[in-house]
Amino acid sequence: MTRTWRLPRGSWLGLVALLVGCTGGDGAVVVVYTSVDDVFARPIAERFTRETGIEVRLVPDTEETKSTGLLNRLIAEKDRPVADVFWSGDPVRAAILKRKVVSAVYRSPGAKDLPRLFSDPDGHWTGFSCRARVLVFNKNLVPENSPPRSVMDLLDPRFKNRACMANPLFGTTSMHAAALFDVLGEEKAKEFFERFVANGGKIVSSNGEVRRRVASGEFALGVTDTDDANVALQEGKPIGVVFPDTGGMGTLIIPNCAVLISGAPHGENGKRFVDYLLNAETEQTLAKSAAAQIPVRPGVPTPENVTSLDKLEPMEVDYSALAELLENLSRGFLKEWVERNS
Amino acid sequence: MSSSLVLERPGRWRVVGISAVLLVLVSPGLPLILTAALSPAEFEGLRPFGAALANSGIVALCVAIVSFLVGLPAGILFELYDFKLRKLLLALVCLPLLVPSFLWGLGWSMLGERLSLIGAFLRASPHAGCTLTFLSAAVGLTTLTSYAATFSLTRSQIDAARLAGGETAVFFESCKNATIPVVLASALAGILTLSDPGPGQLVGLRTGASDVLVSFAAQNDFDLAAIQCLALALLVLVLAMPLSWVAGRRLSAQVLGRQLSGPERATNEKVQPVALGVLGAAVLLLTVAPALGLALPLLRTTEFRRALAELARTGGNTFVYAFGAGFLAAVLGLILTLCVGRDWKRCVVVVALSLAVFSLPPSLSALGALKTASQAPPWLDLLLRSRFTVCALLALRLVPIALFVLLRAWGSTSASWAFAAAVSGVPLGKYVGRVVLPLLLPAAGISILLVALVASAEIGTVLLLAPPGEGTFPLAIFTVMANAPESLVASLCLLYLATAAVLLVAVMQICSRSSAAART
Repeated sequence: MTRTWRLPRGSWLGLVALLVGCTGGDGAVVVVYTSVDDVFARPIAERFTRETGIEVRLVPDTEETKSTGLLNRLIAEKDRPVADVFWSGDPVRAAILKRKVVSAVYRSPGAKDLPRLFSDPDGHWTGFSCRARVLVFNKNLVPENSPPRSVMDLLDPRFKNRACMANPLFGTTSMHAAALFDVLGEEKAKEFFERFVANGGKIVSSNGEVRRRVASGEFALGVTDTDDANVALQEGKPIGVVFPDTGGMGTLIIPNCAVLISGAPHGENGKRFVDYLLNAETEQTLAKSAAAQIPVRPGVPTPENVTSLDKLEPMEVDYSALAELLENLSRGFLKEWVERNS
Repeated sequence: MSSSLVLERPGRWRVVGISAVLLVLVSPGLPLILTAALSPAEFEGLRPFGAALANSGIVALCVAIVSFLVGLPAGILFELYDFKLRKLLLALVCLPLLVPSFLWGLGWSMLGERLSLIGAFLRASPHAGCTLTFLSAAVGLTTLTSYAATFSLTRSQIDAARLAGGETAVFFESCKNATIPVVLASALAGILTLSDPGPGQLVGLRTGASDVLVSFAAQNDFDLAAIQCLALALLVLVLAMPLSWVAGRRLSAQVLGRQLSGPERATNEKVQPVALGVLGAAVLLLTVAPALGLALPLLRTTEFRRALAELARTGGNTFVYAFGAGFLAAVLGLILTLCVGRDWKRCVVVVALSLAVFSLPPSLSALGALKTASQAPPWLDLLLRSRFTVCALLALRLVPIALFVLLRAWGSTSASWAFAAAVSGVPLGKYVGRVVLPLLLPAAGISILLVALVASAEIGTVLLLAPPGEGTFPLAIFTVMANAPESLVASLCLLYLATAAVLLVAVMQICSRSSAAART
């Protein structure tokens, strides 16, 4: 019984880790939560830091990967927020934050030449660069002279057992589902979803999965976002992209939204970041990125692969109302439909 | 002056200690669970949850059974026999332990896109696809457990078995020795699948975890999610009771004075092709195939420079969270172990309850902690909103891993040492410092490493609790994998695998030195 007491190697590492955990500074910073993909958001944040000297602490998430997510984090932190800004990839999440009294009113001077259609009338969120919901089809399976034209083509017998969409409980697909209920009315929208299944349509895990499985030829047709479609095009995948329902109900436009958080710990820096997001240069950068975001501000030059907004026919929806509609649908029809069909 | 016999006799302090630690384990999730339990309307939402829970149960059971059947003999073969490529195969079996499950899911998915047969299989049988994805890490865990359990056999035990009935007897004797720890490890592996929605989402299987995710992420309904988590934990508790009843007796069994000389690795010409074939097939299916899926997009282009920059940005935090969690989990596990002592009934209760806590989705505790932190005064931020918080929450969930390692280590000590110390008048403090801790610290070191390995791959807790800008490498992959070009995702994934492999080799080197010392 003459052993000596020595800490094993692993415990030293643990102790060091704990000590390091109790350190950290808090200088000129702005805390930004974003549901925009890290690969697209980080370059903008880094450029902001270079130009202003304010460090951006970015907390990225993505609706695509279906985490419990930043929206819940923002709601849970409501009483004493950590974030200054929420850069949302869609207006529905921004509208939910408004309903939960998490966001603050901020009318940025940078928003004066942005169309009001894509912003909250009360000033809780401001829309800028957007994506659109598009149809993607496999060029090897669908003749180019008869491409799909409408989301209703997902119900076409020529795509029987060959069409797919992402889980409508999540992300932009959920917003698209709510928009269909808003535009078509409850009965027709429900009929759309039932007929989609009756036609052999499949629910896949995400918009990225729609892109991959249409590109691989497993499905002939799917519905996804412009940024997903652009990634497939850049990778040289054999897909065609269609902005649906021109001349009909229109294409659903999904603007990014800048939201200032109520009680933000670095409120002034937060306002500067929101102003920065809303300027024309940011819209142009996002248009040039792999996300191929469409500027909503008139006159911002766009690369060739980005269709400008004036060439599209946007679906007429009230984005604030969609949030409430989606909340009901997620607990009702859509949840039950997904449970029945997945 | 307290006597060393305190550690071997019943006492109220044991119940108080166990209750306190268990309360700490569930405390982060308690705010949400209590709120939900007080709203009876939420119980209505449990009805459709049953079907999803059944799917989760099937997958968990399949993972537990298959990982037991593969891991038990694999660990024994690795420990007792020397054969070609042994070290490489062992590293490849253990590698998935360091890798988050979504990476393997992604690998299978990418492979399925290019090899239609695999794609068709994954989609035709979502239960099988989901099980296959989880099996990579589960088999790593059970193999490692079986390996460690076999290592605890003495050379004379192996020699006696070999004399009595040749290699068959050696194998069955080793199986008998390793069965209980491996059953526990496979149960842990099965339970881990219950709270992970990733593979289910990827192959299109509706599981309990994905329903909880829907409640959290699509409906923002914390109450419903909390009730679902509670139902999941109760189910695990019911299933874990009989398991811990059997395991508890064995774990708390006293092992009297034993030789320190470990078993020697034998070279047997008959065993060699069998080991190589069986273990090679397992490695090909569970590690190489999904890793190949991850690598295929790199045939066109690579983005390792960008991936390296990402690793440099997040590597430090990954290390801090992993080892911080390991250290805290080992401390809590040590306290629980000393409180449990040799009483197998207490062991049953603690093992079952900690397994139930283990099954809770990390998001429940994380959101509870977030709520608590937002209502706490700012001076508590160092505890509630720092990297320490992430370490603590990871540790609270992973305590069972440390607990099992330490319970087994405690079971291999002899009560007679405490009696001898008491007779000689050795005070408690001196006995703990000179005898108990030196005996348990190697096991504590192993538990720190094991918890750190599992914690390094955790996503949910880190996403919700990491201070802004302090994410981890797996989280960085998770947040780009949906929309980033395949080449970038593949580069990140392969860099992760390479880093994990380097760490694994380092750990194996340390372990092989220790085991070489024990063999002599």
